[in-house]
Amino acid sequence: MKQCEMLVIGGGPAGLSAAIEAAEAGVKVVIVDANEKAGGQLFKQIHKFFGSSMHRAGIRGMNIGQELLERCEKLGVDIWLNSLVIGMYKDNVVAIDVKKNLTEHKLEKIQAKKIVIATGASENAVRFPGWTLPGVMGAGAAQTMANFHRVLPGKKVLMIGSGNVGLIVSYQLMQAGAEIVGIVEAQPKINGYAVHASKLTREGIPIYTGYTIVEASGDERVNKAVIAKVNPDWSTEPGTEITLDVDTITIGAGLKPLIGMSYMGNCHLMNDRFLGGWAPCHNYSMETTTKDVYVAGDASGVEEANTAIEEGKVCGIAIAQALGYLEEDKAEQMKKEAWGRLAGLREGAHGAERTAAKERQLLEYKKVMEG
Amino acid sequence: MNKTYDVVIVGAGVIGTSCAYHLVKKGFQVALVEKKDLARETSSHCDAVALIPDKMPGIDAAMGYASIQRFKELEKELNYDFEFHQNGSLHLCETDQEMEIATKYANDLIAEGYAIDILNPEELLEKEPFLATDLKGGLFSHECCGVNPYKLCFAFVDAVQGKGLDVYTHTTVTDIRRDADNNVVGVETDNGILKTNKVVNCCGVWAPEIGKMVGIDIPIKPRKGVILISGAGFPICKQKIHEFGYMVSKFDDIQCERDPEVEKYNVAFTIEPSAGNNVLIGSSRNFDGYDVDAEIDIIRVIAKRAVRFFPILKNINCIRSYAGVRPFIEEHLPLITHVKEIPGYYIAAGHEGDGISMAPLTGRLISEMIAGEEPCMDVTPFSFSRYK
Repeated sequence: MKQCEMLVIGGGPAGLSAAIEAAEAGVKVVIVDANEKAGGQLFKQIHKFFGSSMHRAGIRGMNIGQELLERCEKLGVDIWLNSLVIGMYKDNVVAIDVKKNLTEHKLEKIQAKKIVIATGASENAVRFPGWTLPGVMGAGAAQTMANFHRVLPGKKVLMIGSGNVGLIVSYQLMQAGAEIVGIVEAQPKINGYAVHASKLTREGIPIYTGYTIVEASGDERVNKAVIAKVNPDWSTEPGTEITLDVDTITIGAGLKPLIGMSYMGNCHLMNDRFLGGWAPCHNYSMETTTKDVYVAGDASGVEEANTAIEEGKVCGIAIAQALGYLEEDKAEQMKKEAWGRLAGLREGAHGAERTAAKERQLLEYKKVMEG
Repeated sequence: MNKTYDVVIVGAGVIGTSCAYHLVKKGFQVALVEKKDLARETSSHCDAVALIPDKMPGIDAAMGYASIQRFKELEKELNYDFEFHQNGSLHLCETDQEMEIATKYANDLIAEGYAIDILNPEELLEKEPFLATDLKGGLFSHECCGVNPYKLCFAFVDAVQGKGLDVYTHTTVTDIRRDADNNVVGVETDNGILKTNKVVNCCGVWAPEIGKMVGIDIPIKPRKGVILISGAGFPICKQKIHEFGYMVSKFDDIQCERDPEVEKYNVAFTIEPSAGNNVLIGSSRNFDGYDVDAEIDIIRVIAKRAVRFFPILKNINCIRSYAGVRPFIEEHLPLITHVKEIPGYYIAAGHEGDGISMAPLTGRLISEMIAGEEPCMDVTPFSFSRYK
């Protein structure tokens, strides 16, 4: 069985940042990533980051990803690609299914002194008749296809959800050559930033607020979508149905933390709707209630890439400290700075809810650990 | 909650819920006290079969058969669908030695009147085309059946809750009260006292804890079993299948040579189909305290064993695994008994891997004992006095 000091599960912004911070202090780090390239969702974020003037504003997500990968390489971080963690066991043993090629794969075991869960989030589904038809997919999946694999998922797209993901992905699909038939939003008003929405409305794309999808139909794949007005009790208003010709329906209905690893690691979980649902609670060092197991990024509650980066840094610093690579005073100072940046990123209306939710996680950790 | 009951049952697994059901049916007012929740532990971390060919001829097989008959009745009696299905079971022999033992064994069971076919390798492959082609033969038992184990627990409770049964979940029993003559007079919990003259300890692997409260030593040990679930695909097998080595691992008096890794975790291959075309693959038997980690090393050995019997599984993913602890008892016979020294204290525990299949019968026997009736079968072998 292989041994390592720090094992990071998931090489997205949180995992890469944790690795960089720890490796800079001298920790030997292994990152395990299920994909053929690390970087998580950054490489499909071809747009410039903004909204937070904190930092990274004006930089494209894909460039941030490139920068993080280069720093990892320089620091000698060992990144295992095509490697799927299949379980976490006693004594910090992690089992990994390593894909060698299309047909061969091998089971490896690594025992780590410290483990970081940075598995990110998964897309929420919306269930309606026809939702399993080919052509119905997550907005994030469509974004990966178009921006990362350079394959257009369809020509006539209906987007469900007007959050920032729904708006940005609609715009990018449009740029890539798809017709956006419409954006459906069950709430009475657009969910995401007005600046994204107006870019779409300027192009004449209809945003149906107060509407929801009723059903999708088609033989080989989806070719029709029916939408209708939503009543306050979430039923649909008869007679308001609109039938749209589509070949793709993308669902941008939010994300939820991927908690499989935390669950398997017996980390105490708590449910908080402002963080996307169930997520492990943690302390100021991002350590979960399971000793040696840390969490960062969307896996600890859905936010965005910048908060994931800062949480990852906190993990990396805390682990370097715990393993004796960083002096306490220095580490505490660095953590404090990272938490300060996190507080900045969590400013504003939506931020206040997230700040409160993160505080609840810290409190819950204390409660659990004090019994 | 300070109420009075005819009987207080401790532990709401399949044995406790069955006892509750059968006692209420006899007209008793019953409380079912459970530290966690219905079917929270062993009864939801197991597989789900009632078999005959894994029982020794004699009382074991008789109990297995009686359980199957009782399941058939329960399916009609209970409104809650617990997914009863009776499609037989196969036992596979890997070596000539196993086939020889199996044949003798089957003949003993056939002589006792059970419907068992002895199959040659060709007949085996006719029944299950995806089996390895080098097997030496097997046994097919017509009567064997399966249930959904946790739904069975729910079904028992559903039938009588509020009609004589009160269920107290998330309630921990802290002591059993006795009077000066050692008679049971009540059950103390972290949520109040339940007055009663009769308590049934149905705590499975945790039965020794409830035994200690009255100063008796119940020799049950937790024995871990790991189960794997495959990704949904196409029907790989049509019925419950076991390697005959299962028998060998269960009863220590038959010696066969086995792979050291397989030996270490006492792995014997079992597979059962499910409605969604996921298969459940088992299982191991090792002593590791109350730990329920499905360890990767055990998972690998089980998978290796499964691929040996069903080579096609090599190409199918394992999507989940879980472990449960079975209440192991040295004699391979459960305790279904009144404890004479402590009048009013009953034990129904120690069924190891037979808890689901023997639950209906166990519940019935306990209800008959408490009602003062003649039990429907000889209960001497299950008596606690066997330790005297």
